[in-house]
Amino acid sequence: MESGQPVFEAIGLTKKYEDETLALDHVSFSVRAGEIFAMLGGNGAGKTTTINLFLNFIEPTEGEARINGIASHKDPLTAKRNVAFVSENVMLYPNFTALQNLDYFSRLGGKTQYSKENYHAVLRRVGLQEEAHTKRLRGFSKGMRQKCGIAIAILKDAPAILLDEPTSGLDPQAGFEFIELLRSLRDDGKSILMSTHDIFRAKEVADVVGIMNRGKLIMQKHAAELAGHDLEELYMKYIAGHIRDAA
Amino acid sequence: MLSTIIVKELKNIIVSPKFSATFAVTSLLLLLSVYVGINEYQATTRQYEAATGLVDQRLRETRSWARLSNRVYRVPNPMHVFVAGVNNDIGRTSIIDPTEQVKLTNSTYNDEPIYAAFRFIDFTFIVTIIFSLFAILFTYDAVNGERENGTLQLTFANALPRVHFIAGKFVGLWLGLIVPLLIPIVLSVVLVLAYKIPLAVDHWMSVAAIVLVSLLFCTFFIAFGICISAVTRRSSTSFLFLLVAWIVISFILPRAGVMAAGTLHPVASVAEVEGMREAFAKQIWAKHRDEMQERFRKRADEMQNMTAEERSAYEDEHAWEMMEQEDKARKDILKQIDLLGKKLEEETRNGRRQQEGLALVLSRFSPASAYQLAAMTLAGMNIDVKSAYEDALSAYRASFVTYKEKKEKESGDSGGIRITVDSNTGFKFSMGRESGSLDISEMPRFNASRFSFSGVLASALPDIVLLCAFTFLAFAAAFVAFLRYDVR
Ligand SMILES: Nc1ncnc2c1ncn2[C@@H]1O[C@H](COP(=O)(O)OP(=O)(O)OP(=O)(O)O)[C@@H](O)[C@H]1O
Ligand SMILES: [Mg+2]
Repeated sequence: MESGQPVFEAIGLTKKYEDETLALDHVSFSVRAGEIFAMLGGNGAGKTTTINLFLNFIEPTEGEARINGIASHKDPLTAKRNVAFVSENVMLYPNFTALQNLDYFSRLGGKTQYSKENYHAVLRRVGLQEEAHTKRLRGFSKGMRQKCGIAIAILKDAPAILLDEPTSGLDPQAGFEFIELLRSLRDDGKSILMSTHDIFRAKEVADVVGIMNRGKLIMQKHAAELAGHDLEELYMKYIAGHIRDAA
Repeated sequence: MLSTIIVKELKNIIVSPKFSATFAVTSLLLLLSVYVGINEYQATTRQYEAATGLVDQRLRETRSWARLSNRVYRVPNPMHVFVAGVNNDIGRTSIIDPTEQVKLTNSTYNDEPIYAAFRFIDFTFIVTIIFSLFAILFTYDAVNGERENGTLQLTFANALPRVHFIAGKFVGLWLGLIVPLLIPIVLSVVLVLAYKIPLAVDHWMSVAAIVLVSLLFCTFFIAFGICISAVTRRSSTSFLFLLVAWIVISFILPRAGVMAAGTLHPVASVAEVEGMREAFAKQIWAKHRDEMQERFRKRADEMQNMTAEERSAYEDEHAWEMMEQEDKARKDILKQIDLLGKKLEEETRNGRRQQEGLALVLSRFSPASAYQLAAMTLAGMNIDVKSAYEDALSAYRASFVTYKEKKEKESGDSGGIRITVDSNTGFKFSMGRESGSLDISEMPRFNASRFSFSGVLASALPDIVLLCAFTFLAFAAAFVAFLRYDVR
């Protein structure tokens, strides 16, 4: 699965917001099928902006964000057919039960063939306790909603998965289970692009780690290259170095 | 895709806790208003029957043609059950008599001010105030609420055209709000049937049209709510904005239109007109008195050098001539006053009509006014009712007076014990013949014009079209705004 066409591809991706903030500055990378790319970076580094560009929530100022070779801003509908997304703060519909939320978003994702049993199965897979399946989301904790969001992404069964800080709000056990889940998705041949602040988990699960700072991708290394290094140290070093360079 | 969104919207409305509560209140108010309307109509009908019975009895008991005078009561309109319009504000009865102008007096609100203080809340009022609020309550966060929830992002992470989303949203919300509203509407129709309110086919068509226009009005607010939620980022902002807009549309604009028209196009008040007429009458009578004195002095001068016998002979000779002269002068003056009165009345009426027209044009900037005017017109209860009725009554008065004069002449009866000095009939001393009751079988009766659906529809059409335009505009604006909406 290492070879083949890249699923996610950022080519000179640049985004300047209306207020002249340069959020992304010629960022290029690619993620192949069966590969997990973890974006690290401080607050405001440009991680969410990158993800939003892949989803065509915003238009790139320069460059392209491609999914399966299709530029998101040129043919958003086709591009989005191939991607599942878990946002930073999953809220879903508070008046719907977990099952109803799953059903609605699966249908939107073009999957109408699922049965109730499928929904229960996937909720079990993401580790949502059984009694919560038929409860309204109104009373769910952030982690429980996060699990529902991940379930929705799994159900879409798209070749590409975008995750914006998926482990924030998960308890340690859920975090651990989530890593397992990501591995199994990778083994299914999914291409995963995730942003995270969790250096430890990133190192554990990612095939490629990228470090972003002030809109630039300042480091990009394969897991093999990182072996034996302390990623946390590396991260600090790179950021400090970049700040020094910029000054 | 479209159906998925529609179904989701429907579900979302139905499972939302605020829905059952607001729906119950809305339904209850609607049914209550129709129930009160039914009671009011029945009470009005009873009053009408009693009053016309009394008039009939009085007519039968009238013993002389000269004293024959009629009184007409406005026929109760069964559409009152749904639309009060100006029904309670305009007079219910007018005297029909040669000496008095037609004027509708004794309105419900005049006779029973308590009702004026707490105005009758009718179906259209419920629609204007409650339905619109209901619509706002479920649409204010249609778009920005989903953004705040993060569901808008998640939704558009899918291959979903924006047009589908907003159209599905509109259809779903529309079905989710309109279909439930049909339940109390149908129930109120059942109520009307149960109470056997005499609605003719034309009335029923009008009821159907009013229901449709009400739903159209509600549709406007749904589209408006979605539109505002698609031009704002926060649901708290759109809620506040919609609340203010709702107050402006429902309460301020309609009144502002009327007030502005009053300032831009002032019309003399009834009291002012009365004053002008009185002043004229006073002046002309004073002139008459002076002239009369002049004439008397002249005659006295002529008679100055006469002996007593000559004087009485002269007086005998000229008595008729003098009397005729005085009578003619008096009649002349009365005619002049009457003419001026008519002219003034005509002028103020025209002025008022123009003012009303201007007020209506101005207040129509509010969809609520357009709706209420359409509903009132469809029910035959708009502000034209008064003038239309008074016109019909004036026409009737003319035929009644002709009839009365003819009968008076035929019978030579002028009624009562009277001394009449008249240039036509001369000097007369007569006792009313106690001839028993009069034969009034040929007396013309007042026939109120029949309610015609095509008629009211034609007059209501401009307002209906206007309401459609408002709704379309709001919908188009919502569409355009959403196509550019930042889903993050
Ligand atoms: N809509 C916007 N308008 C203007 N500037 C924006 C907008 N959204 C983001 N930015 C700016 O772009 C930069 C990158 O923001 P982004 O949200 O991509 O950061 P991030 O890496 O996701 O941060 P975090 O870890 O806090 O989520 C920041 O400087 C931010 O202030
Ligand atoms: Mg972010």
